[in-house]
Amino acid sequence: MNDPKDIDHVHLDEQAQSLVPLIAGASTFHDEGDTETATKRRLGIGFWIAIGWIATIVTAAVLAPWLPIKDPDANLIQPGERPPYSPSSEFWFGSDQDARDMFSRTIWGARISLTVGFVAIAFGMVVGGSMGMMAGYFRRRWDAVVSFIFLVLLSFPALILAILITSLMDRTLFTISFVLGVLSVAPVGRVARATTISFADREFVLAAKSLGAKHPRIIVRELLPNVVIPMAALALLGMAIAIVAEGSLAFLGLSVEKGATWGKLILTGAGTRSLEDAPWISMAPIIVLFLTVLALNFAGDRLRDYFDVKETAL
Amino acid sequence: MSVLLLLTVSALAFGAMNILGDPLFNILGPVALDVDNPESVELIQAAEEQYNLDDPLPIRWALWLGDFVTGDFGVQFSEDGEPPVRDLISERLPRTLQLLVMAQVLAALIAIPWALWTASRPNSKVDRASTVTSFLFIAIPSFALAVMLKWALSIKLSIFPLAYVANDTFWERSFQMLLPAITLALPAAAIYQRLLRTDLITTLQEDFILTARSKGVSRRSVLFKHALRSSLFSFVTIFAINTGALIGGALVVEQIFLIPGLGRAIVEAILREDFPVVLAIVMIIAFAFVILNLIVDLIYSLIDPRVRSS
Repeated sequence: MNDPKDIDHVHLDEQAQSLVPLIAGASTFHDEGDTETATKRRLGIGFWIAIGWIATIVTAAVLAPWLPIKDPDANLIQPGERPPYSPSSEFWFGSDQDARDMFSRTIWGARISLTVGFVAIAFGMVVGGSMGMMAGYFRRRWDAVVSFIFLVLLSFPALILAILITSLMDRTLFTISFVLGVLSVAPVGRVARATTISFADREFVLAAKSLGAKHPRIIVRELLPNVVIPMAALALLGMAIAIVAEGSLAFLGLSVEKGATWGKLILTGAGTRSLEDAPWISMAPIIVLFLTVLALNFAGDRLRDYFDVKETAL
Repeated sequence: MSVLLLLTVSALAFGAMNILGDPLFNILGPVALDVDNPESVELIQAAEEQYNLDDPLPIRWALWLGDFVTGDFGVQFSEDGEPPVRDLISERLPRTLQLLVMAQVLAALIAIPWALWTASRPNSKVDRASTVTSFLFIAIPSFALAVMLKWALSIKLSIFPLAYVANDTFWERSFQMLLPAITLALPAAAIYQRLLRTDLITTLQEDFILTARSKGVSRRSVLFKHALRSSLFSFVTIFAINTGALIGGALVVEQIFLIPGLGRAIVEAILREDFPVVLAIVMIIAFAFVILNLIVDLIYSLIDPRVRSS
């Protein structure tokens, strides 16, 4: 060990003296890391702001039909003026070329985008999570089969699979969520497997076993609670990835066909002409999408640090 | 293993295309469904003969694969089948490749100085600000960044041209591609910087750095020659892995900046349900992924001799 504090007391020539800030700089980083471990059990104000934003967006999306906002598909032509209208007290986020209110379209778009993100990662969690836990608990043949499936899924370029399937199927809300869900199985499953392995040989599992608990009980009562907590962090990150993936698919013309999604809203405003005339058409959904993805990423990162998940496969 | 993977990808893609799509309908249009009319039946049989559609699926796959590896990507599904898919690919692929190369070079040029700068003063104000910045760039989706940059730099400030003109000279086209390349490079640079900075900080605490410094090597030289060199291996690894992610980004960014590369080609082909084109592009990208993975494995074995023996 080369503790820089000891070096301070040793006689050093001038050149080596200038080394001290270099090393000390590095060690301050290290020391701060240590104090961070001490205070790590706090999530911090940023985390709660992020969660607050996510909760607001989710609530708005769920309650959209009952909120006092304009009809997202109505053409609200203002007498004497030609759309698109810039943001005003009448149109908070402006309107598009068809005089439709961007604020309510963004909220309605959240319904589809968030559903895709949520269903995709929920599918990944249930399928990938249970496959990974089984592999991690039973090992042997199960593990070999499941690990091989994960390997194949991971080595398949995800985007290509998404393009391939979505270009061939009817692009409903269900199929898009399903495709993105399949893509999240392997990354989620690998983490579930690794976490399960790290707990499977612990004393409390052994205790349950020697008390005569059957496999299902051990998996559900002993292992699941330990695996679920770190997976929550992963779920937030995965949801962000799925929402972004939907946006990317929209730009390839492969997103959900019916209804507005954030990706499709941005796409309609992304043409050169409408960026010149009415940048708010794409900027409003971009800002909301970016804040949401940022909040999901940040909350996921904080949760992961909080529970100290070692494996980060997503 | 990688050959097996490519075979699996091609079989899956080919099978899905043929089972979920209807190739006959794509070639002939409504005529394909008109089986009572003897004239259209003749047409159908001619088309089946021409495209080998009457053979069972595995045989068609084998035929297609044999053609594909010898560089014959087949014909497009249109009336006359012109131009061949190969010509389309050889026109589009170089553009996407150029975009990727420009993006990666820019990303490296941004990330390395950025990482050296922050790693030499860890936890300073500059470093904290840079951590926040890189987090923002990593979180922002490529399409959102592309639209914002296009609006700010091409439309508002008119620094960059709005259109890609295929007939311009190489340098003009490179300049037209600069903003799309920057769009891809910024998030990539943030990823590289984050990794390289952590790696450098760890390396700077090693004993050999202390030895070098006490032997009188200057700070600058230690940072560049000793620390950076040993950190470069992990940098090259993430560089190669991230290229795979950049391919996806490039397809999307091409749409926004209207660059007629592979991304535009695949979207046009999907709209026309022209699946020899889709298939060829899918296979090229899958091939690129496999090659990248092989390169990453090679790099690993260079860093860690233990991998080589296993």
